[in-house]
Amino acid sequence: MNDGTGTDQEMNMNAAAAAAIIAEADARARHVLRPDHRVTLLVWGAIWFLGDGLTWLAVRGQHPYQGPNPGGYAAVVLLTVLVALASVSQSRAESGVRGLSVLRQWTFFLSALAGLGGAFLVEGALVRAGASRPAVGVFEAVAPLLVLGLNYLARFSAERDWVVAGLGLWLVLVAAGGAYAGPANVWAVAALAVGPAFVLVAALDHRRQRA
Amino acid sequence: MSLEELDPVIHTPARLRIMVTLAALRDGDDLSFTGLQDLTELTPGNLITHLRKLEEAGYVATQKNGSGVTARTSVALTDSGRKALENYTTVLRQLLDSASPN
Repeated sequence: MNDGTGTDQEMNMNAAAAAAIIAEADARARHVLRPDHRVTLLVWGAIWFLGDGLTWLAVRGQHPYQGPNPGGYAAVVLLTVLVALASVSQSRAESGVRGLSVLRQWTFFLSALAGLGGAFLVEGALVRAGASRPAVGVFEAVAPLLVLGLNYLARFSAERDWVVAGLGLWLVLVAAGGAYAGPANVWAVAALAVGPAFVLVAALDHRRQRA
Repeated sequence: MSLEELDPVIHTPARLRIMVTLAALRDGDDLSFTGLQDLTELTPGNLITHLRKLEEAGYVATQKNGSGVTARTSVALTDSGRKALENYTTVLRQLLDSASPN
């Protein structure tokens, strides 16, 4: 523990010592107080790549299209939500930070959750209204991308983070473009376009933190 | 330029550490007293002493929420504290530049 209370000796601190304290304290505080999304982004990249990739492998030979195994699909969605929850509630609370940025993170998480929940309800409504299985299949593949993409885009207003906004725009474009690939191939498009995108954003975030 | 031009309220290792730590918070956030203590490695008594000086200068704001064992004291940099730290680092940079041989 530092017992200094502003003695004459401390007041004689030279400029180089002050600069060293600033550099050390700033690095330490940023490491502890600022959220680190790199691992979360990598995990999400793996989930999208493997989840959508495996789904594509499972549905690509289906004639007529029947869709992914509901249990497997639910497991991937649940895993994504749990990773998001873990990233929101990560160690910032333990470090003692409270306030607007914590509130913002929870707002984004809950709005994404509400969006996903709403999309699944709409999917049920489409089935009930007599939509074909392939049409519902396209919707269930792209709806999470649209919800998440719009969520990331909305974060820009609070965080002014162009990389996150770019990821959001990319997710929306993949959802819109991938829908034209059909109910089976849309999963391959999502796996190849979204998984690596998350890894790229994690790499950019890593570079930014080291700069 | 000389060291006297540096803000004397900030220019001690402990208070400089406190100010820089709080400046790492995002706008609208605050930090618990214990969180700040962990990061600055000051004893509770010293941290209180330094915070009082910074608060008197208007550089930090402390807020106590709750009572009894659930009480939580939070600390944040004020706008004038953020400006004061920016001025401090600007003067410090000029001092270091003027002291360098090039």
